[in-house]
Amino acid sequence: MTRADKILLAGLLLISLLSVAVLYGRFSIFPAKAEPVQAVITAQGKLVRKIYLTEGVNSSLVIQGRVGPATVEVDGTRIRMMGAPCTGQVCVKEGWIGRPGQTIVCMPGEILIRIEGAAPVDAVTR
Amino acid sequence: MNRKTGLLFVAILLIGGLATLQYFRRSYEYSSDQFLMDTLVSIKAYGKDPSTVKRAVAAAYAEMHRIAELADGFPQPGTATYRSSDVCRINEQAGKKPVRVDADIMAMLLLAKKYNQMSDGAFDVTIGPVMDLWGFGDKNPHVPSQEQIRSALTLVNSNDLMIDEQQHTVFLRRAGMKLDLGALAKGYATEKAIQALKKNGIRKALLDAGGSIRVLGVNLRNAPWRIGIKDPRKADAIVAVLPLQDASAVTSGDYYRYFEAGGKRYHHILDPRTGYPATSNMSVTVVTQDAGLADILSTVFFILSPDKALEMARKMAGVELFMITADGHIRHTPPLLSGIEVKAGESYLYDQGR
Repeated sequence: MTRADKILLAGLLLISLLSVAVLYGRFSIFPAKAEPVQAVITAQGKLVRKIYLTEGVNSSLVIQGRVGPATVEVDGTRIRMMGAPCTGQVCVKEGWIGRPGQTIVCMPGEILIRIEGAAPVDAVTR
Repeated sequence: MNRKTGLLFVAILLIGGLATLQYFRRSYEYSSDQFLMDTLVSIKAYGKDPSTVKRAVAAAYAEMHRIAELADGFPQPGTATYRSSDVCRINEQAGKKPVRVDADIMAMLLLAKKYNQMSDGAFDVTIGPVMDLWGFGDKNPHVPSQEQIRSALTLVNSNDLMIDEQQHTVFLRRAGMKLDLGALAKGYATEKAIQALKKNGIRKALLDAGGSIRVLGVNLRNAPWRIGIKDPRKADAIVAVLPLQDASAVTSGDYYRYFEAGGKRYHHILDPRTGYPATSNMSVTVVTQDAGLADILSTVFFILSPDKALEMARKMAGVELFMITADGHIRHTPPLLSGIEVKAGESYLYDQGR
């Protein structure tokens, strides 16, 4: 083995070790991709709709829940439960949501609206 | 280059290539939601093999359903859920005879008794009769009369909750007494679910039971999970972010289940010593490994005065406490300082020294 070979080997070894460290380490060289924000609506465990929350795009839709139909309103980048057939109206009182990680839950109707996208936190304790 | 060097060269390339491949063979994520224990339970679990991860999550939900059935205090009498609830059977036999119970109900009640004593009665699972008076789970919750509360309070006393570990029986000594495991069943079930995930080979997971959080390992960025603490007064905001690894964070707040009457807010965390909603704090978050313990302690510390709660938390190993007191002060145990980001802003007062 010549001196140049040894240097080449040492260099390769260093590079492969470094790349392993980078790939597995606490720091990542790949920046997180910006995910589009979308509202995911499920009723009784089944996916009903996925809606991209885009400025200027408004709509409303009716979801069949366990205790009857509920009305969901989309206003650009935010979404809310406009009307629900339950007595508590907890989901309606929740108001508008639009940030990743936020949820509106209708317990009696088993309807769930969840905002998906890159969130600043993994979960919120409340 | 000779033959030997060539071989070494190939070996190094091979190792590097394999390591890279292994990294890009992304771990499989499986997330699932279920309506359970009067709340939404979300489990996110990670692993290499999809069928293993799915099986683990199913086992976790099965554990939670089992505990939920045993601890459910409100099914209709005569139904199957009523018969399968140990708590209902204990309540039914109050003042009559001891009831044989499941090992998990036994474990929960032993914990409940322990923290009843440690908190000088600020935590009491025999609160049932007073809870029923307020009717937080009903359509029309209302403020009971002082006389009603006084007479219901005479039935609240954990010293009359008799636990026989040899016979596996539980007995409420006086007729009319009633257990309510609302302050600990969810946390206990969460911990059971996490243990089921672990047993099935999961090393990375997040379980969110209506805002009670338990995590396994670290998040996908290989850093501690970032858990926000909800602002007790602003619907859309968080007051702090906690780093969490192999631990749980459970919050008790005055904003979760409440009604208003005569311009006053009445929430569902009752002080067993007065029969009225506890007034010391707006929100209390406990961080400790076991979700069952975190659930109990969040209620205990919520009911105690801030000074007493901090003193008790400091004495317990591995227990950290973050609280927003009724007068708007943010206070927490010292170890939390190392990782916490407080975003109090102008809403709350934050003195780091305390």
